[in-house]
Amino acid sequence: MSQPATTAARALVSKNLPKATRQQCLRFFSTASRNATTKRPTAAPCPSKPRQPLTQQRRTFKTVEEAKSRYRSGPFSLKAGLLFVATGAGLMYYFEHEKERMQRKRIADATKGVGKPKVGGPFELIDQNGNKVTQEDLKGRYSLVYFGFTHCPDICPEELDKMARMFDLVEEKRPGVLAPVFVTCDPARDGPEELKEYLNEFHPKFIGLTGTYDQIKAMCKAYRVYFSTPTNVAPGQDYLVDHSIYFYLMDPDGDFVEALGRQHSPEQAAKIIVDHMKEWQKPIRTA
Amino acid sequence: MVWPLSSSPEEKRATEIRSGAVAPTRAERQKCWESRDLYFACLDKNSIIDALKDEKAAAKACGAESKGFERDCATQWVTYFKKWRVQDIQKKARLAELEAQGANKLDVNTDFAPRT
Repeated sequence: MSQPATTAARALVSKNLPKATRQQCLRFFSTASRNATTKRPTAAPCPSKPRQPLTQQRRTFKTVEEAKSRYRSGPFSLKAGLLFVATGAGLMYYFEHEKERMQRKRIADATKGVGKPKVGGPFELIDQNGNKVTQEDLKGRYSLVYFGFTHCPDICPEELDKMARMFDLVEEKRPGVLAPVFVTCDPARDGPEELKEYLNEFHPKFIGLTGTYDQIKAMCKAYRVYFSTPTNVAPGQDYLVDHSIYFYLMDPDGDFVEALGRQHSPEQAAKIIVDHMKEWQKPIRTA
Repeated sequence: MVWPLSSSPEEKRATEIRSGAVAPTRAERQKCWESRDLYFACLDKNSIIDALKDEKAAAKACGAESKGFERDCATQWVTYFKKWRVQDIQKKARLAELEAQGANKLDVNTDFAPRT
């Protein structure tokens, strides 16, 4: 409704109608009715504190210099900055650490398998002293399994030297927890005596395993090791064996944990092994 | 190649190693590797890659080194190392080519030198 119309109506109403009715009509016409003075009864208002001024209360400074310095640097100070950096660095370190831990756990869990382990399993072989060794003898400790042969030209001796270094590094941190195992892929030529002579040059604690061709074949199959002995070899003729070159880290349950390869230095590999050992919850046997 | 039979135990042992009857010890392996490195250095100098394919050129240029190599290593090892050399050179060339194309380098080591 437009303004002149309202004023005219109001004048008309105030002249001709009794007071109560007049008011009702006014309400009808006017927007004033919305802020009617009659209110529903309410609880008495709480005595409130005097309202804070809108501007923040200023800190008082002891000296002008202090005030000036505060004005220049704003709310930042050296202490606050250091605290911020330290907190950030701490958080970063924690998250990185946790990430690495989760990564290791994931690798260990992923290879754990639900039913039968994917790598490793039962075997029956003899060591360099002619004693029978089965998977049960290795259980309770971590074991590092490597496959090779004594006539190997370059890689196996190099890798065995690396394994010896790795083993020593792990021994320093966790003595007796790791069993270093060497399995031959060439049982025709590597008997216990050959193994003993060969492994003594690398590390006196290495366990060398050999057996019949079928036992070795089963062992290699269980560890998913590829090996190929040439088939058309005349007795006494020389040959080389082609085989996979990984170190297999097995946990105290005899389950496969991780494969360590040529890309790892002995120090890196030893660190990986020790880190896995730290996360092992169940008891560990030591030699 | 026929090796003269000799009664000396060193010569007997060397013959056994060459034929693959026994596995070499650490010292014997080391000796073989040294002779191999000498031979390969000579091949490098004469830019011969495949000693099996360019047998005549290799024999002419590195006859003395070749003799030492064959004396100190098992016959199977000699062939293996010669083949390995070809593959390793090809691999390195391929890697260099890939790197030139901007490929990312992975940490792979094919050298004989032990890593520390």
